[in-house]
Amino acid sequence: MRLLFQIAGEYYQLMLRVFKKPEKWSIFWRQFWKEGNKLMLASIPLISIISVFIGAVIVIQTANNIESPFIPKFYVGVMARESLVLEFCSTSIALILAGKIGSNISSEIGSMRITEQIDAMEIMGVNSANYLILPKVCASTLLSPFLMIVSFLLGLLGGGVIVALTGIITLAQYDEGLHFAFNEWFIYYSMIKMSLFCFIITSLASYYGYHAKGGSLGVGRSSTQAIVVSCTVILVFDLLLTKLLL
Amino acid sequence: MIEVKGLYKFFDNEPVLEDINIKFRPGNCSLIIGASGSGKTVLLKNIVGLYEPDKGDIFYNEHNFTKMTLSERKMFRKEMGMLFQGSALFDFATVEENVMFPMDFFTPWSKEEKLERVNFCLKRVNLENVNKLYPSQISGGMQKRVGIARAIALNPKYLFCDEPNSGLDPTTAIVIDHLLQEITQEYQITTVINTHDMNSVMEIGDHIGFIYKGKLLWEGNNEEIMHSECKEVNDFLFANNLARQIIKNR
Repeated sequence: MRLLFQIAGEYYQLMLRVFKKPEKWSIFWRQFWKEGNKLMLASIPLISIISVFIGAVIVIQTANNIESPFIPKFYVGVMARESLVLEFCSTSIALILAGKIGSNISSEIGSMRITEQIDAMEIMGVNSANYLILPKVCASTLLSPFLMIVSFLLGLLGGGVIVALTGIITLAQYDEGLHFAFNEWFIYYSMIKMSLFCFIITSLASYYGYHAKGGSLGVGRSSTQAIVVSCTVILVFDLLLTKLLL
Repeated sequence: MIEVKGLYKFFDNEPVLEDINIKFRPGNCSLIIGASGSGKTVLLKNIVGLYEPDKGDIFYNEHNFTKMTLSERKMFRKEMGMLFQGSALFDFATVEENVMFPMDFFTPWSKEEKLERVNFCLKRVNLENVNKLYPSQISGGMQKRVGIARAIALNPKYLFCDEPNSGLDPTTAIVIDHLLQEITQEYQITTVINTHDMNSVMEIGDHIGFIYKGKLLWEGNNEEIMHSECKEVNDFLFANNLARQIIKNR
């Protein structure tokens, strides 16, 4: 319990340093786009592959499980859409990103900590937390909703491709299902979740990296902790947000 | 001038530094020497503000650094440069970007002006045609020199070096020592160097402080240290056969 309070206190202190006005906005924006490219754009290939395949699998599984003749076939499209938008494109993708960008951030910052690069910045009078962490947090929080949209569209595409290839249902039925009782709030809900989850991932990974100690083993340990804690916190907030927003 | 007054530092209630009183003057290379684990690095980190002293004060030209607010310290830090044991060059940046880093933050200079200063600093440390290389692409000695170039980029009044010669061959170590001495004298910088390299002691020790188990046991210069009557200093100095032989031949 004491450790939990210690971590919460250190995290809060770090965030106070992170959310200070940048020394120079030009440097911040340069770093923002660099991090956006590295953390978000570079994740698109992985997210795309996973989304296409999961979209296809959801369609096959839903079609196979609808046995009742009273349930219209277009419900396969409805189920695929709802599964993707409500949970997969935000929560599952965020859990995958926790592994990919979480470990990337914590090991990068952790290596800088143990090789005294962060100390070097502090000696110069640079707020290292603000310079290193703020662009990552802002880029991932602001750009991740677009990643969710990409995942959603590609998931639907994957479902469409499998429908066309296997003929489980017709493309017209799938298309009808995608449009049936569409609630646009679910898209915003998913974007909000994704944005918050990416804030959690980047800020926690940065925290663990920033407090890494004990050489390369310490960096490895901080990466593992960052992923485990991020995933747990994401699941807790998933529950809270679902209760609050739906 | 930097003045350390009655400095104490504890880790887990164990004293690491006890009642340290020492002055570092501009234009001098001040060396803090002592065995590994004696408290040299802790002292240096207290002086630059990476650690907070548990007791005592550190004055920079009569400004009490320990009592300064974060923003006051930040202004002060622009006058400091530091060379780390492992160079601490930024992996993500080229040599040119490393040296330019403090200028990006703290000067209103144009890109051309910054580049001119970068080239001047790199030339000053005898490095040319390495601007576009990354730290991993240059040797340890070159990394140290880039570290020095970055440390002097903003014309600091205070230069701190933590074991600048560690991991370097004796010839390169002497080059680095002379470079630090030249820069110190040329720009009248207050330079504090942590080392246990006896070559450095003899070559550039204008002022030497010997730390033993967290206490400052002896102070003097590179001439006086040879005639010191402090047992711990002599044990440290003449720990190897080579040093004993040199003294015998004198």
